[in-house]
Amino acid sequence: MNFKYFTEILPPEAVLLSQESKRVYECDAMSAHRVMPGCVVLPDSVEQVQAILSYCYANDIPVVARGAGTGLSGGAMPHAEGVLLSLAKFNQIVEIDPIQRSARVQPGVRNLAISEAVKSFGLYYAPDPSSQIACTIGGNVAENSGGVHCLKYGLTVHNILQLKVVTIEGELITIGSHAYDSAGYDLLALLTGSEGMLAVIVEVTVKLIPKAPFSRVLLAAFDDIEKAGNAVAGVIADGIIPAGFEMMDKAGVRAVEDFVHAGYPTDAEAILLCELDGTEEEVQTGLKEVESLLMQYGAIEVRVATDEAESELFWAGRKAAFPAAGRITPDYLCMDGTIPRKHLAEVLAGINALSEKYKLGVINVFHAGDGNLHPLILYDVAIPGELKRTEAFGSEILQLCIAMGGTITGEHGVGIEKINEMCIQFNDDELEQFHAVKAAFDTKGLLNPGKAVPTLNRCAEFGAMHVHRGEDKFPELERY
Amino acid sequence: MKEKLNSIKEHVLNAVAQRKPVNIVGGNSKAYLGRATTGTLVDMSAYTGVISYEPTELYITARAGTLLSEINNTLSEHGQMLAFDPPNVTDKTTIGGVVATGLSGSRRPYSGSVRDYILGIRCINGLGKDLSFGGQVMKNVAGYDLSRLMTGAFGTLGIILEVSIKVVPLPESEITCCRTMTKEKALAKMLELSAQAIPISASCYDGEVLYVRLSGNENSVKETSKKIDLDEDGRGLKFWNELRDYKAPIFNTDINTWRISVPITANIDIGADPFLIEWGGGLYWLNSERPAKDIFNMASEAGGNAMLFHGSDQDQELFHPLSNGLLSLHKGLKKAFDPHGILNPGKMYAAL
Repeated sequence: MNFKYFTEILPPEAVLLSQESKRVYECDAMSAHRVMPGCVVLPDSVEQVQAILSYCYANDIPVVARGAGTGLSGGAMPHAEGVLLSLAKFNQIVEIDPIQRSARVQPGVRNLAISEAVKSFGLYYAPDPSSQIACTIGGNVAENSGGVHCLKYGLTVHNILQLKVVTIEGELITIGSHAYDSAGYDLLALLTGSEGMLAVIVEVTVKLIPKAPFSRVLLAAFDDIEKAGNAVAGVIADGIIPAGFEMMDKAGVRAVEDFVHAGYPTDAEAILLCELDGTEEEVQTGLKEVESLLMQYGAIEVRVATDEAESELFWAGRKAAFPAAGRITPDYLCMDGTIPRKHLAEVLAGINALSEKYKLGVINVFHAGDGNLHPLILYDVAIPGELKRTEAFGSEILQLCIAMGGTITGEHGVGIEKINEMCIQFNDDELEQFHAVKAAFDTKGLLNPGKAVPTLNRCAEFGAMHVHRGEDKFPELERY
Repeated sequence: MKEKLNSIKEHVLNAVAQRKPVNIVGGNSKAYLGRATTGTLVDMSAYTGVISYEPTELYITARAGTLLSEINNTLSEHGQMLAFDPPNVTDKTTIGGVVATGLSGSRRPYSGSVRDYILGIRCINGLGKDLSFGGQVMKNVAGYDLSRLMTGAFGTLGIILEVSIKVVPLPESEITCCRTMTKEKALAKMLELSAQAIPISASCYDGEVLYVRLSGNENSVKETSKKIDLDEDGRGLKFWNELRDYKAPIFNTDINTWRISVPITANIDIGADPFLIEWGGGLYWLNSERPAKDIFNMASEAGGNAMLFHGSDQDQELFHPLSNGLLSLHKGLKKAFDPHGILNPGKMYAAL
């Protein structure tokens, strides 16, 4: 593939061709799968992005867009013959409009940087994925990222107003507007979560919301995970929508407590964290209600944070769940299925049974309010065959989620990781509809090829494999 | 319901085979919306019923022909509601029509739009294929978000069979406050209130009086009503329901009624025509005989869009013109769902 053109339109430091310089782009946070990109480009203007994409379109070169590379599903895994288009230099906040409560930002701006920049206006950007210190808003839009507060405040799709995107043909198009709705089809919703398959995002206008004047976290311990699940349903049935509602199992609590000493009760089978926000009157009344409901549903202990510092300490444990897992295992694989909450106990029992079957440990953390599970499968990539076993374990968890009426991914995206399970969640007609939508934007299939939506051929192969799960027919073939 | 579903499918497959357009209709309570279409009638009003409703899982799934009033009643029995306040235009209004038109009511700026609450859709595309996208869970990013894309597409991408919608708790208490003031003062007040973390759920200026509704926890609503410097008004529920259901005076006219959506800071100059402002300054209703081109230009200049909501001529373009780039993507998408152009062709735009 000839990448010489890029050196003509970009400064020398913005085109990476050597093995050493390209190496950091080999993978995103799903580091088990790596591909050396053909070439890495780091444009810093919309015109450059347009020129790069036009050239790729004319010369049939695949393009993979990348933000901070914190994605967990391999969505930014490069293409060996393609261009890895980094949006890292698009790191400016273009405009903050505190009256309209919006901010126009470049895609490479970090999620948390937006909230920091608008803090003085009493505003913030609501979606808060756990990687918010590092992840970029462009990647958030591509994946429709969530966070711990999305039960009440929504996902990325609920919190953006307008996108500027460049199509594979190099055309700059504005989608959405600063008004509450826009003419025509809801392309803003379609582009959000499209995993870089439809267009490249070059600007995002996000909605900002006023910071609630008061918030408090409450911690509850249960001696039975099913009781904890029922308690979550009970609170919601009572008409309370907490700002955050999280659950962690015993293994998770122990891992976290050894790491951050958040004061979690380590003898509990499950703990719940429940955050309420609003006016002080509202929160105080709500806390009393939640506390009494949780006791009714069998909590063995309920602790209401006495001040903001204690609220933060309660959260610190939950937010440290992934690094805490990292301390007790060389590697872990984070799953992302979502289920109707009522099946929680059943699904957790299923996951524990699978843990026995595959002889791999698992920690369960869980956005309990919206049914989004994050089982962390603990493994060691250095042990031959263990990654493979881990992936088979993960696949069975996802299939369990589908069987329970849920989905294979709540907020991390399909990427390359869950592409086979897409064949189970959707039938051929539905997958064909996805491919037709893709073709409406990208006839040649150059944007992020091989991700998010499997080909029908791949599903046919997977179907055959699926039957013989565990006894792979062609172990020598690389599959990702 | 199985026979009804089969007859709908058969109808579409025949239409596909003969390349003849179909005209999709629910309760036909908003027949004045969109351009006139020809085509054989696909009547969705008999495909009815709530399929599943689980208050603790916060969702309801219903067939397209289910009456909105039935859904509202079912939800309120369990202390819940649809967050986006859809207009219950007549007693024939169906949930399928609500989703296909994508029109939200007074709560929209404060709690979100129809598409924000759509979790999943089952539909028939223009090839007669029965497809399901999304689901019943709150978070789902598997595959493109085609259920939200189909919301507000006026049936041009698919015939909606079933929808799953996220529901929210009914507010414990509501208070309406109002005061007579000028348009400038009313817009400034709406911006000021919307910028605070207070339980505001609707705002409207009818040319004379600013109305604001507070909804939520009883204490919090009461405390807030004392702080916002407006006077309590007893007409609350009736006022907001009439506005939501297009029964306010602004809708009772033979003059063209325009719906203009703009950024909340736009403060557009609407001249001497009768108007009403909602959504914290983000939505203008206008009675005007000015040429469509002028209204579209005015909306564009303000960074928004206009739609001839209710007029005498349904053959002209009624929706805001699309840029060339957007129009070509729209045509591509229409083709992706409906390659033979049989689903409500021309309903939104002549070209789709």
